Amino acid sequence: MLKLGRHAFADDRPLVMAIVNRTPDSFYDKGATYAAGAALERVAQVVEEGADIVDIGGVKAGYGPDVDAAEEIRRVGTFVGQVRAAHPDLVISVDTWRSEVARVVCGEGADLLNDAWGGHDPALVDVAAEHAAALICTHTGGLAPRTDPHRQEYDDVVAAAIADTTAYAERALAAGVARESIVIDPAHDFGKNTFHSLELTRRLGELVATGWPVLVSLSNKDFVGETLGRPTGERLAGTLAATAVCALAGARIYRVHQVRETRDVVDMTWSIAGRRPPLHAIRGLA
Amino acid sequence: MSASLRAAVVPGALALLPAYAAATDPFPELRLAVRAAVDWLGPAPEILGDAQGRRVGQALVEARGGFETVVEEGAPRPSRNHLVVANGTARRSRTSPGPYDERARPFDDQLGKALLAPDPDALRVLDQGLATELWASTAALAALADLLTGEETVTVDYDAAPYGVQYWVVRYER
Repeated sequence: MLKLGRHAFADDRPLVMAIVNRTPDSFYDKGATYAAGAALERVAQVVEEGADIVDIGGVKAGYGPDVDAAEEIRRVGTFVGQVRAAHPDLVISVDTWRSEVARVVCGEGADLLNDAWGGHDPALVDVAAEHAAALICTHTGGLAPRTDPHRQEYDDVVAAAIADTTAYAERALAAGVARESIVIDPAHDFGKNTFHSLELTRRLGELVATGWPVLVSLSNKDFVGETLGRPTGERLAGTLAATAVCALAGARIYRVHQVRETRDVVDMTWSIAGRRPPLHAIRGLA
Repeated sequence: MSASLRAAVVPGALALLPAYAAATDPFPELRLAVRAAVDWLGPAPEILGDAQGRRVGQALVEARGGFETVVEEGAPRPSRNHLVVANGTARRSRTSPGPYDERARPFDDQLGKALLAPDPDALRVLDQGLATELWASTAALAALADLLTGEETVTVDYDAAPYGVQYWVVRYER
């Protein structure tokens, strides 16, 4: 069983996490949902499209103007409460590395803390434990938040991702986060070049074999763009190909911009893998 | 006086098999009727049908689980119960699995009358060649005819063709 805050999911169910950016400058949507009204509309839309989780972020992952904790709280704090009120059955995740932000959003009803920067703030696990929230433990290769990789190399990127994420998971467990509420994420592109991200995709089954539920965040990322020579707005097909490979390997959560397409690819692949029955089957069986 | 009897006709739709279970049931009403009929027969009925039909029947009996047959006080105990796996044509309409054949509906109408009467003589002389042409599964109906006297109480639990295949769930008691 996977327990994300107030919500529990059986092990045979893959989950789609929709990205909702309360930022003016994120790479894909470029501020389209910075305003609270637009962001709430985005939440309603992704729920209708089949999202199980929304991942609300107040700070762009890449370089850009500084966003301090107070500004991040201003962007996401009360918004989480608004989403909680409007969608009581929805899992709310917040993409933050800061414990002070995490404490506020958990108070507003967040279920899940998506620490995209791999435990940079050591107190984050304590906030998750205090609020019975779930935690995503990512691998960034030791980079500080909002830093791009430069000449980063690994003896074995998959082994490094497994070592770091599982160590983080054990640290969370020791801090009091429930075992069924801890997820690991190899974090494609974070501290990695395109070859690293392709290898992580190809060998994702090794992360699944750790026994920790695995989240993949592939959506429209640079490794897809570089692999296919596609700009940001033309990476859906490549993203979905990588999604299918990760789904075949058994990834549990898919963090995405395009919910409907991802839902179909993940469900189809899980059915091919024999983990999910077809929705309907009568052809040749009547 | 004829021996007591419980027999039930159910269709041989493969979608009834657990191996072909989808997330949504294509025919929940049919499945309920089939399960109820199999439960009503009690444990270990004799299964009549062609090879595929017998496989479906066996799966239905096995899926019943560990229920126990309740025999009412004073009620006659059936000598042997029979699960008959058979159904009508699969060429009744443009949405049927088989190509449309205008002879299919009249065939089903005639077969339905014989099953529901019941009319063992009509079942015995059923045109098996035409049944094969119309994709009907009727191989077990001659054996059913031999079980019936025409005096049975008949209960029709299901009579429809939801996917262009004619299904019946019928129970006979004597």
